[in-house]
Amino acid sequence: MSKISLKYSTWFAFLLFIAVVFPLSATENGVATLLGEEIPHGFDPKTGKRIIPNERCLTCHGDEKQQTDVRDDGSPVKIFVHRKEIEASVHGEQSCNSCHVTIERVPHRKAPAVIVGCIDCHKETWDEYKNDLDGKHDRLKVVNEQIDSFMQSVHAQPSKLDQSQTNATCYDCHDAHNVGELGSIQRAEKRLKNPEVCGRCHEKELVAYKTSDHGKAVLEKGDSESAVCSDCHTTHDISSPESDKAKRAITKNCGDCHEDAQRTYFDSYHGQVHRLGYTNTAKCHDCHGGHEVKGADDPTSEIHANNRLENCKVCHTEANENFLTFWPHGDADDRENYPGLWFFKIFMQILIFSVMAFFWVHVMLWLYREVMDRIQGKGFIEDMDKPDIVYFRRFPLVWRWIHGLFAVSTMTLILTGTTLLFSHTSWAKAVVVFLGGVEMEGIIHRTAAVIWLGIFIAHLLIAISNIWRKRDEFKWFGSTSMLPNMKDARDLRDMFKWFFGKGPRPEFSHWTYWQKFDYWAPFWGAAVIGTSGIMLFMPEKTALFLPGWMFNIATLVHAEEALLAAIFLNSVHFFNVHFRPERFPMSTTIFTGAIPFEEFRHDHSEEYERLVASGEINNYLVRRPSRRADLAASFITSVLIMAGLALLTLVLIGLATSPN
Amino acid sequence: MQRDNIMNKTVRNLLVAALTLLPATVLADPTAQALAFTCAGCHGTDGSSVGPSSPSIAGMDPEVFVDAMQAYKADQRNATIMDRIAKGYTDEQIKGMSWFFAKQPLLLKPQKHDPDLAKLGADLHKEYCEKCHSDGGRESDSGILAGQWMPYLEYSMTDFVEGRRAYPRKMKRKVDAVLKEHGKKAQSALIHFYGSQQ
Repeated sequence: MSKISLKYSTWFAFLLFIAVVFPLSATENGVATLLGEEIPHGFDPKTGKRIIPNERCLTCHGDEKQQTDVRDDGSPVKIFVHRKEIEASVHGEQSCNSCHVTIERVPHRKAPAVIVGCIDCHKETWDEYKNDLDGKHDRLKVVNEQIDSFMQSVHAQPSKLDQSQTNATCYDCHDAHNVGELGSIQRAEKRLKNPEVCGRCHEKELVAYKTSDHGKAVLEKGDSESAVCSDCHTTHDISSPESDKAKRAITKNCGDCHEDAQRTYFDSYHGQVHRLGYTNTAKCHDCHGGHEVKGADDPTSEIHANNRLENCKVCHTEANENFLTFWPHGDADDRENYPGLWFFKIFMQILIFSVMAFFWVHVMLWLYREVMDRIQGKGFIEDMDKPDIVYFRRFPLVWRWIHGLFAVSTMTLILTGTTLLFSHTSWAKAVVVFLGGVEMEGIIHRTAAVIWLGIFIAHLLIAISNIWRKRDEFKWFGSTSMLPNMKDARDLRDMFKWFFGKGPRPEFSHWTYWQKFDYWAPFWGAAVIGTSGIMLFMPEKTALFLPGWMFNIATLVHAEEALLAAIFLNSVHFFNVHFRPERFPMSTTIFTGAIPFEEFRHDHSEEYERLVASGEINNYLVRRPSRRADLAASFITSVLIMAGLALLTLVLIGLATSPN
Repeated sequence: MQRDNIMNKTVRNLLVAALTLLPATVLADPTAQALAFTCAGCHGTDGSSVGPSSPSIAGMDPEVFVDAMQAYKADQRNATIMDRIAKGYTDEQIKGMSWFFAKQPLLLKPQKHDPDLAKLGADLHKEYCEKCHSDGGRESDSGILAGQWMPYLEYSMTDFVEGRRAYPRKMKRKVDAVLKEHGKKAQSALIHFYGSQQ
């Protein structure tokens, strides 16, 4: 670099030095200076803003004798602020104009704009202190959560009357000069004032609330245990009462105090649908009224016997007097008040426990015996050198179709029905959403029920016509009859002997006792589930000749019996037919209609002997199903088994997580 | 060599640019204190006036000072010569002087006053004036009245009352009320009260 450029550079550096050292205004050590003068006392050295002591504000705003002033236009304005309240509030150490940021001069040179923004300060303060370990600012976390809720709420939406304003903002509800700490007297007082605060805008609601049991307790007796507005509507996460979100929140919040009422409500169809997240069934306030809620003894109460039917008719337009005897909060565990319901629950539970206990023991022992036999090389083992070529025809086409449709409709019924029964689970909510909502689910359930009952009746007609055709030779207790007989009792006894190694495997006839049980159980199921289902299907028609409490019993037995069927079919039936070692992984006979000859001879040896002796055996022998038919049957069976096991899993999850 | 020339030109151009951008920096203003010395002729040394009709401005609230100077500058306040003087200062200079005077101690001289009038003035002050002119008029944020020269207060109040000077917010209501309630005497009483304070 030349000497000339070095000279220029020196000048340049000097000028820069001048620029840094002698500015017009600058800060030295963070203190503002101007023309060599430091900022005077009473002004923030960093921001240059005037520091206004709260005392100076309270000169006017703290004067109890002059609580109002007049605006420039002559209108009166309340200016009074309780000094002690501020000092005791959570904001007691704040300066007035840290919130009232537009106030820069005192006395006010211009008419002050009352502009207060709470959100930024609370967010910034929480950001600043959230990692502090002293916990002093922990409450700000809740405050910020409430802020987030508020911002999503209807209160934070622009007002329809004046879109420059929100429907409500922080200080419409919070008296910021009097925000007490948790557990403080201010908070207790604020709770009792809650209806009055909300009522400033929601006037009609306040009038109704004042007449309610809640309102009387709070406003007349000062009972802070009774419900105020925010207990039902939430404090910040407030939605329009027409929205599903608000309806769900209100029902949930009623239950926070009225726990038993909510528990029993959730046992009802109304409550089950609601718990799935839908609001088209009756909710607390649909029957009890909202703001004007009163006890049943009050003649002006919506749930008074004289008024209740009107509420039923909102949904059940043709509801008659019998609806009044429905127990909306019927409690099957309350023997004293609901003995009928209690009896049915006990009966159904004994039935479920005894059937399941018996058959699960049966399953476990059978599994044990077959495993032991196989270890010892006994039992039915496929001869790989002589694969079955001849099959025994066991089911004609019509039975195969009927079983297939029966299986599909039963599974559909289980899936759609258990979503209601286990409406507390997240899987139930997801299934209902997947199916397109609770109304679509109802349509599917009822369609499947009609198919199910249709098949059941069709099967009866076919069976009766079959018997009629063979009426001359049909033996009611013969080997091909489905009717239970003494041999079944003997077989059951001998089967247990075999389980314990005390005897040989019984020689079974055409139908074994467990197959007969599988056949006859749906008759009972159809009677119980079908009858109760039809009653619930058409409540208004049912109520023409049955009392309302029959809906309670119908709901209970429908669910309990369905539960029994769901568990039995997807565990015991699956084991007996598919999962026991001799059959594992599955039997496709119900879809191919044919059973391998050797397997038939093993499983139904007495029938085999009879057919051989009578020479009828040849009438039943068929060729093995084609490879394609075999694969198709395996595929269908696999799908149904997987679906059944999935349903069983969902049901067990529902039972294990049941809140009751 | 040519490279050096280019270098020199670059440096020179930078220097010219810097000189263009930083003239105000180089030609630094006089300090606020130096500017304030010129006020001493009327307002006394460091703003504590010795003359009866020029007010003391020592300890004056800086924003009140700026308000006054800006009002003079914009011909919005009745003036004798302050309107002309104020026009000679930039906003920065006015603010700088306000900071200077705010820090100066207010040295008061005893004034001849009527104690009875002053007593009445004290009561009237408490009822009508104290909220803004707190602490008996010592509070500076709305202008210090306590100990101010009485003739100056007289001129100022007359300017307000006779419409030559715009009232600050709310003051008219209070002045109207006190004059209506207690007559012309109220103005003298208040001035004697302020003049009585040391």
